[in-house]
Amino acid sequence: MNGLQAVITQLMKEKRDVLISILFGFIAGIAAVGLFSASGYLISQAALGVPIYALTIVIATVKLLGFTRAGSRYVERLISHRATFSMLKHIRVHFFDRLQQLSPARLQRLKSGDLLSRAVNDVESLQNVFLRVIYPPIVLVLIFFATILFTAYFSVWMAIWLIIGLSLSLVILPALFAWLQSATDESTAEQASALTAEATDMLYGYQDLTIHQNMQARQDAFADLNDDYENAIARSRVRELVHQVLDGWVGFAMAWGVLAIGSYLSAAGQFDAVLLAMFMLLTLTVFENTSPMAAFPQYFRDNKQAADRLYTLDQPDEAGGNTLQTPITHIDFDHVTFTYPGEERATLHNVSLSVEPGSKTAIIGASGSGKTTVLQLLLKLEHVESGSIQLNGESIHTIQADSIWDVSNVVMQEDAFFQGTIRDNLLSDASDESLNEALRLAALDSFTLDDPVYEKGDNLSGGEKQRLALARVFLRDASLWLLDEPTSSLDRVTAERVLHHVYDRAQNDTLILVSHDLTGLDQFDQIIVMDHGEVVETGDYDSLMDKQGYLYQLKQIEAATL
Amino acid sequence: MSLLKSYLSRHYIIQLAGVHLLLATMILLQAYVIVSIIDSVFLQDAGFLDVLVSLIGLLAIISARAVLTFTSGRIGITLAKKAKTSMRSHLLQHYTNQPIELAAQGRSGEKIATLLNTVDQTDAYYREYIPQMVRASVVPLAILIMMAIYNWPSALIVLITAPFIPIFMAIIGLKTRDKSEEQLNALSNFSGQFLDSLQGLTTLSLFGRAQQEQTLIEKRSNQFRDATLGVLKVAFTSAFMMELISMLSIGLIALELAVGLIIFDSIAFTTAFFILLLAPEFYIALKDLSSAFHAGRESITAGKSIEAVLDESKHPVAWGQQTIVSVPPRMTLDHVSFAYDDVDILKNISATIEAGQNIAVVGPSGAGKTTLLNVIAGLLPIQHGRINVNSLKQHELREDVWFRQLSYITQSPYIFSGSIYDNIAISQPDAPVDDVYDAAKRAGLQSLIDSLDSGIETVVGDGGRGLSGGEKQRLALARAFLKQPSLILFDEPTTGLDLKTEQLLSQAIHDLSTNATVITVAHRIHTIQAADQIIVLNDGELIASGTDASLKHSSSAYRALLGIDGGVNA
Repeated sequence: MNGLQAVITQLMKEKRDVLISILFGFIAGIAAVGLFSASGYLISQAALGVPIYALTIVIATVKLLGFTRAGSRYVERLISHRATFSMLKHIRVHFFDRLQQLSPARLQRLKSGDLLSRAVNDVESLQNVFLRVIYPPIVLVLIFFATILFTAYFSVWMAIWLIIGLSLSLVILPALFAWLQSATDESTAEQASALTAEATDMLYGYQDLTIHQNMQARQDAFADLNDDYENAIARSRVRELVHQVLDGWVGFAMAWGVLAIGSYLSAAGQFDAVLLAMFMLLTLTVFENTSPMAAFPQYFRDNKQAADRLYTLDQPDEAGGNTLQTPITHIDFDHVTFTYPGEERATLHNVSLSVEPGSKTAIIGASGSGKTTVLQLLLKLEHVESGSIQLNGESIHTIQADSIWDVSNVVMQEDAFFQGTIRDNLLSDASDESLNEALRLAALDSFTLDDPVYEKGDNLSGGEKQRLALARVFLRDASLWLLDEPTSSLDRVTAERVLHHVYDRAQNDTLILVSHDLTGLDQFDQIIVMDHGEVVETGDYDSLMDKQGYLYQLKQIEAATL
Repeated sequence: MSLLKSYLSRHYIIQLAGVHLLLATMILLQAYVIVSIIDSVFLQDAGFLDVLVSLIGLLAIISARAVLTFTSGRIGITLAKKAKTSMRSHLLQHYTNQPIELAAQGRSGEKIATLLNTVDQTDAYYREYIPQMVRASVVPLAILIMMAIYNWPSALIVLITAPFIPIFMAIIGLKTRDKSEEQLNALSNFSGQFLDSLQGLTTLSLFGRAQQEQTLIEKRSNQFRDATLGVLKVAFTSAFMMELISMLSIGLIALELAVGLIIFDSIAFTTAFFILLLAPEFYIALKDLSSAFHAGRESITAGKSIEAVLDESKHPVAWGQQTIVSVPPRMTLDHVSFAYDDVDILKNISATIEAGQNIAVVGPSGAGKTTLLNVIAGLLPIQHGRINVNSLKQHELREDVWFRQLSYITQSPYIFSGSIYDNIAISQPDAPVDDVYDAAKRAGLQSLIDSLDSGIETVVGDGGRGLSGGEKQRLALARAFLKQPSLILFDEPTTGLDLKTEQLLSQAIHDLSTNATVITVAHRIHTIQAADQIIVLNDGELIASGTDASLKHSSSAYRALLGIDGGVNA
């Protein structure tokens, strides 16, 4: 489905507000036209010297129209904005809902590509969809329709002239400028991101740039990009300005034409000259309504792009498969090779491993060795493409992801935290008593359940976030523990204390711990050592140390490090 | 506000004033010609040919008005472009003169936002606010004068009613300001919350909480909508009042004109119609002014925050003009102190580093080891004391001469967005590919480069492919191999590297050190023991120095660091 159509579907959930705002927009516009026409008529009649009572009626009408105009404008603005914000609500909920249907792997990709924060901005920018894209042309056509009908009653030629002006303002100019826009620079956004990238490099890479005496060159490059960016903005502003000026000119030119036609027809005796002032003012006023059309091409394009982005982003993948019938006991990786989409090199090469029920496994290795990827594949957060993963002897392909999650206690490095309270962030409906107990086990006793948590958990330290993530799993009752560097930001004493509680709870469960820390490895039944995406060693601590292989050497270095 | 003003050049304002003066003339002329045409046709029964000349003239006036409007807008756009361009380069200049701030890196994200978005927000001030201000001080006045000349009662009505507009605006504006700023905060907060929900969806799903979150999004959206509408209502009310006042006074003028025309016969049709055409133009100019005020407000806030940034103090590192450096350098630190945010990081450090020596700096975390390296590198300005290079003071050297012979391998080298070649050849952007490839090879990057389709031209860094911690270290080594420095500063990584990078690092530093003075913040016992001189730091002070053997004997702090006095590394 086309993005804009999808957005309009959401807008139409507020049909009543949409119709009311169009109605009042029309009344406001037509009242202004009436007001000025009546004033022109009033003046002309007054010049002829009509009786005062006739004038009183016209004057009263003028006043009434003034009130109507201002009042309708107020109602129209209020209701159209209400419709817009309600529409945004529907879009947000709808987007979130569709995002849920995505495969976790897709979601992962969106997250890392910063696409989600763009989506949030896109949703916000869609507030112009109704106010500046859909609404103005509709109201404009209605006002013109009424005005042209009225005019046609007095002079067909003037009505035809107005139709020409309307099509110029409403169709020809917007189409022309929309075309110009796409023909020239699509690239302001690209230039903005080039400028941002340059600024990022300069500020974050300041030390390296200074040492390598590259700062001046970078500053010059920044200056060039800065000029390009500002020039691009200025170009599109000038284009908008030209459109705006032309639109204004068309309005005046139309009034001019009415004057010319009126003069001609009146000289020819086919038009009553007393109406001339009225139609002149009518034309001037009706064309004042076209000014929003100058911004139309820009808004139309921006909103269309935003809507398309939003709705291509969340094409749902087909999810499928069986529900896991029993808790996971056996885990087997058989020659698994995995490459992240868009990457050239495989992150995992030919990884084979197996985990026995109830056993404790540690996966160790340097950063970038592929440890985390193993867990992601196991949780179906990524799809294995070569080799196979079997859970309880069943291929992971045929198992639904959420049925794996249901039976797992997971702590990932990218666990998310939310604005709210500690209670909200524990993601559990358990009693306060249980929640407090979980905090205690995670060595977070210093927090109370009502303590605030900021966006992304910004007010929590890395260690506090890790402990909060552990508290979450203490509240669950699953039998497979998957822990990715759960204590890397904790001091050794706290880490040991918390892990002790984990091992205690997991006594009879299967547990996989990913870590680059080499302490306490002797407690594990199995240690899997990874390097550059390959499993280099597997075995228990004693046998690996006896073998004097990779782990042994790492331990040697560790021993020689302060 | 004063900062925004400082980027305005006077001649543009004069140009704007000229344009709007002409524009006012055109507005008056246009009304006059329209009136005279209608008068001729309507009351004088003139033929079409009689008014033809006037009609052509009117078309010319309308077109001139369009050209003038364009010119005014164009000047605004140019003003905005020039102001923003130079504002941005001033800001960047300012940031790069704050090495201490940059080294801390805490606020880099904020700085980038200021540089891009905040500067963009000043646009409306130049493009809308300034031209509208000029317009508002010329056009309404001209109209008012013209009205007063032709029919003073109309001018009087305008004079009495017009002040109500700014009064109402001010009252309502005061009420909205706090509210709208509050609202702006709520807005950014709200999008942040929504982003939180989106980015946390995996976590929420893992815990089976996605459905609850969806309900929450709906609830918050409703609250947000109602709060926003509350603020908008005030703004709409002010627009309503304004419209009402202008409509009523135009109505009042029409009434006054009609009465004058009919009852007293004191006004001619031409005058009455002329005034009636001008009155709306007067209010349109006022309305434009108020919307310019609205647009300018955000810009003024942005201008204030830019001004605050530019007012921050700068402490650039000082450099001189001396060029002679014998290599490798001998360095002496003479009572060197450095403080950040009034906290002393380095206190009164004196040391001598002989040419070609291998120095290890050790100490507990937070002792100031990395800061010492940064100070020696000339990346941070010292507040007290002196660093001498051979017989010269460091701050008398020419910056490029000093940095030409220096390499600094940090724990997390920064990778620029660009190719691997660009990243290695950063000190010599035109280095021959073979040399760069050779440096990469010596740093152990050959197998990585050969495995990539685009080889050494593969784009890395932000927006390119990611590198692991070990690969970043090797890339920094390659930079050093290409540069052939005579002074190497090395912040030895603690843990988390793969075996191969570990081995490569010590071999590479060994290779590089043959012709260089090397200063290492050391974490490996063998690095420390192999050093010619060990400097022991604690809490910013140099508490001991000497060789491994002598320190083992003399310094208990050193023994504690090495875990000899009972401290055991598990």
